Formats: sequence, structure tokens, C-alpha cells
Amino acid sequence: MLEILAQAVVNGLLIGGIYALVSIGVTLIFGVVKIVNFAQGEFVMIGMYISFFLATYYGIDPLLSLAISMPVLFLVGMLLQHFLIRRVLGLGDMPQIFLTFALSLLLMNLALMLFTANYRTVHTWYSDEAFHIGEIYVPMAKLVAFVLAMALSGILWVFLQTTDMGKAMRAAAQKPEVAMLMGINPNHVFAVATGVSLALAGAAGSLLMPFYPASPMAGQVFVLMAFVAVVLGTLGNVRGALIASLMMGVAESLGIQFVGADSGLIVVFLMLLLTLAFRPSGLAGGGAR
Amino acid sequence: MRALRSSGALWLGMLILVLLVLPLVVTSRFAIDIFIRVLLFAFIGVAWNLIGGYAKQLSLGHAAYFGLGAYTSTILQIDFGISPWIGMLAGGVVAMLASLPIGALCFRLRGPYFAISTIATAQVFMLLFLKFRNFAWGAEGTTIPNLGNAPLMMQFEAKAAYYYIALGLLAIGLAITYRIERSWMGYYLVAIGEDEDAAEAIGVNAMRIKRDIYMISAFLTALAGTFYVQYIYFIDPTTAFNFNISVEAALVSIVGGVGTLWGPVIGTVLLEATSALLQSWLGSSFGGVQLTVYSLILMAVILWRPTGLLGVLTEAYARIIRADPEQTRKAALDG
Repeated sequence: MLEILAQAVVNGLLIGGIYALVSIGVTLIFGVVKIVNFAQGEFVMIGMYISFFLATYYGIDPLLSLAISMPVLFLVGMLLQHFLIRRVLGLGDMPQIFLTFALSLLLMNLALMLFTANYRTVHTWYSDEAFHIGEIYVPMAKLVAFVLAMALSGILWVFLQTTDMGKAMRAAAQKPEVAMLMGINPNHVFAVATGVSLALAGAAGSLLMPFYPASPMAGQVFVLMAFVAVVLGTLGNVRGALIASLMMGVAESLGIQFVGADSGLIVVFLMLLLTLAFRPSGLAGGGAR
Repeated sequence: MRALRSSGALWLGMLILVLLVLPLVVTSRFAIDIFIRVLLFAFIGVAWNLIGGYAKQLSLGHAAYFGLGAYTSTILQIDFGISPWIGMLAGGVVAMLASLPIGALCFRLRGPYFAISTIATAQVFMLLFLKFRNFAWGAEGTTIPNLGNAPLMMQFEAKAAYYYIALGLLAIGLAITYRIERSWMGYYLVAIGEDEDAAEAIGVNAMRIKRDIYMISAFLTALAGTFYVQYIYFIDPTTAFNFNISVEAALVSIVGGVGTLWGPVIGTVLLEATSALLQSWLGSSFGGVQLTVYSLILMAVILWRPTGLLGVLTEAYARIIRADPEQTRKAALDG
């Protein structure tokens, strides 16, 4: 019994690391640019397809293709911010929500047209490797993904704390007007924030590829998890999003283990609804804007 | 202004006449099927528009109420032999009751987080209906027994009958919207949509108004759910609680014009006409084409015409009927 519990917790933590990359991306855009990116999951999906095609046609390992998917998505993020998101800033909820929502629909359905609904997998030499810690089974691919996800989160944290751009981002997140007075160009900061956020989503996609099938709808689960995690953790807070994501992973895994294979998401959604019911004041989304 | 209003009544009369004789003139089953889809989704859009358009509570979970309506009437019909006409109203009541706790939870959040939490509620319903097989057929769903021509059980051989029901639903939805728009509640809703804190500051009980309009919206959406399963003779959780229903409800309103009486209708006509054309050009082989085009239209509207296409049409119309050269010149100067 205890082994089953421990196994479920380990499984949850491992996938929670991937959720964290997506959540941190969502919370970063929300914190700095003040919009919710409904299309974040689709950028995970794009990261997956980039790694899938590089692995299938050029034999590049998905972990190495991080070096391609992350810069590509960083660039996409800069362009997205510059050409689309910038045009709806300050226009109220409706255009802001439905612009990225439309983008999510667009990317998902373009992927469906271009790549079909087939599940695509990449098989690497470590895809089937695993080792045991006592009774607990740890798949190699998931562990590597988890470790790299944590490393990337750490690098981001250091970037936000120590670099000028990181400080500018935090300043723009806290007091945009004051940041502008200090000579920070908000458009540039916003573009970098969106770029970094999308690069993290792309990284999540590449890290998933050795053990998770790519499909046009693949991003949906991750973005839903990220939204819940971002609501649970404090909005715009990188550390909160990280911890909440790991919790969500564990909660989902326990749901799958003890309620049934199709119940992971129910547990997650119920967690969201219960949080809303009992701790709404703790959520930045519930207060006055 | 008076001229505009009386010509409006004239147009409305002509529109009603055309809609009533349409199935008598057009007999192609394919065409009637498209008309029914247009009327049904326009109706769902009208229901969404009450909460999403006037009060600006951007729900992306209306599939919850659509599905509850669909399941209530189907369970009542198959397990208890109760006519879907009664089941339809029962489904509406179930949806209204469900909207109370859902609203109590979700209305604590604003803007994007309200939208996300409504997605979650609709998904929870779908997952619950998928999981509990003994309650309502689980993932396999069920076909609805075909009784031939049984008007009392909402089953007809003529497709035109479904057309008239959908038309009736849309008329009810528009009439309710029209009444609400011109009542104190309509003004409160717009005030909440503009700035909730300011509305509360001047004494509007925002929570109560939102709860009431959400109930009405849920009730109407559930009616559409019953109608839809009766029309396609089949129900399963992924049909009844399909995310695309939530999406389309919001989409048609935004494309047509949120917070306007006719916006959802205009939006549906445009989107469904596009979809029908795409289908006849490309066949149904290309998955994803329809939603790709929908999302492009949605982005275009948001970027260039956030007030929706209804605004474009009324401006154009006003320009045409204002034959007075003085006014045309003025309008040109303004524009």
C-alpha cells in the first residue's frame, strides 16, 4: 500500500515538472504583460512537433532539439507579442481573452490539417529504460525531463533575480508606469517576457517527446493544468506556480491511482473548484483589479 | 429616428415572413439541415449573449447546460416514458438549478479566470457522465428510440417540423432578450459589464443580477440541448458536453456583436454560411478547416471590429437610407 502511494507520488512529481514549465510560462506572461495566454498549450504542442520532425527526419534526439525548439519559440513569442497581443492591451477582457483563445483554436486546427490527428511518438534509447529505488519504479525519460525542467525553472529564476532584463520584467510586472519612468521600454520587456514564456512551453514539448505522443490536441491537458496551477499558486508568482504544478501532478496521479484511470482530471478540476469555494480571497484573480 | 424604427418593423415583418415560408420553398434536406443548425446555434448564441454579452461574464462552459438539458430529457424519455416536450422544460429547470452553485463558485473570479473556471465545470460534467456508466449509459451513449412520426414525443418525419421548433426557440430567445434589454435589469447588466465595481458602488447588487441572468441563460441553453439530441437521435457525453458548443456560443456572439439583440444571429449566419460553403467546396475530408476559418474570422473581428459585424451592417444601412445629402456629407466628415 505504502509503495503504491509512493509510486503515485513519484509519478505525479515527474509529470508535475512538465506542468511547472507550462505554468511558469503562463504566470510570467500574466505577471508582466497582464494577459492570460489561452494558446500556451498549443506552443507545447508545437514544441512537440518540432522535436518529432527533427527526430524522425534528422535523427536528432528530442533532448538535443531543445536547442532548436526553445529559440524558435522565443522568436515566435516576440513576434506574437509585437504583432498580435500588443494590439489588444488595455482593451478590456473580451478582446484579450478571445484573441489568444482564437490563436489556440487556429494553431490546433492548423496542426490538425497539416499533421492529421494521428499520434506521433519518438522512440529513444532511454524511452524504455528505468531504474528502481527500493520498490519504486522510475522511468528514465521522465526523470531526465523532470531534472531538465527543474533546471530550466532555476535558470529562469536566476535570470529574473539577477539580470537587468529580469529586473526590468519584475519592475514592469509590479508598477508598469514607474518602470516606464525609469526608462524601461515596456514593449521590449513584454516581447521578451512572451518570448521566454513560449520558449518554456517549447521546452516542455521537447522534454515530453521521448515518452508522450504528439497530437494536435496534446497541449490542451497541459494548459488546463497550468491554469489551475496558476490559480492555486499566486498569480504572476513563479515559485507559486512551480509548487502548485508539482502538487497538481501529484493530485492527478493519486486520482488515477485511487479513483480510476479516467479520473485524474476530475480530481484536478475538483481541486480548482474547491479552492475557489474556500480560498477565493487568496487568489489574485478574485480580488479587485 | 422614427423613420428608422418603422422601417425596422417593416424589415422584421418581412424577415419573419421569409423565415416562415422558407422550408416550403427550399426542400433540399441538406439546405434545411443548414437552416436548422443556423437557427439552433443562433439561439444558443442568444442565450450566451445574455450573460456573456450584456454582463460581459465571458463563459466558456455553456456546454454544461446544453448537456444537462440533453441528458435530462433523454433520461426522462427512455427511463420514464415522459415526452421530451416536458423533458425540455425539466432540463431547463435542472440547468437553472445547476447554474446556482456553479455561478456561486465562478462569479468569485473575474475576466479570464471566470472563463477558465467555467471550462472546468463543463469538463467536470463530461467526465462524470463518462465515468458513471450505470447512471446514463457512460461513454457509449445511447440512441433515442425512433417512434416514426410522433409529434407528442418531439419526433417528426418532416425535417421542416424541426426547423419550425428551432425557429420558435430562437424567437423566444430574442423576445426574452428584447424584454430584458429594455428593463431595469438590462441597464444593470450593462452597468456590470462596463465596470462591476462602479456598478456596485452605485447600489447595483451585482452578484444577484449575475446569478439571475445566468439562470435564464442556462435555462435557454438547456432547451437547445434537448432539441439537438431529439434532432440527431443520439446522445453521449462527448456530444452533449462538447467544448465546441461552448466555443461556438461565444464565437457567434462576438463575431456578430456582443450585447446586441441581433448580434448572435448575424454571427451565426455568417459563420455557418462560411462553414457550409467550405464543406461543399472541400467535402468533409479536411478535419480542422472549419475551426481554422472560424478562428481567423474571430481574430479579424477582434483586431479590426471589436464591436462585431452588426455595427458594420447598421452603419452601412444607416448610410444607405440617409438619402439626405447634408447628412451623408456629415457622416463622411465624421467617418
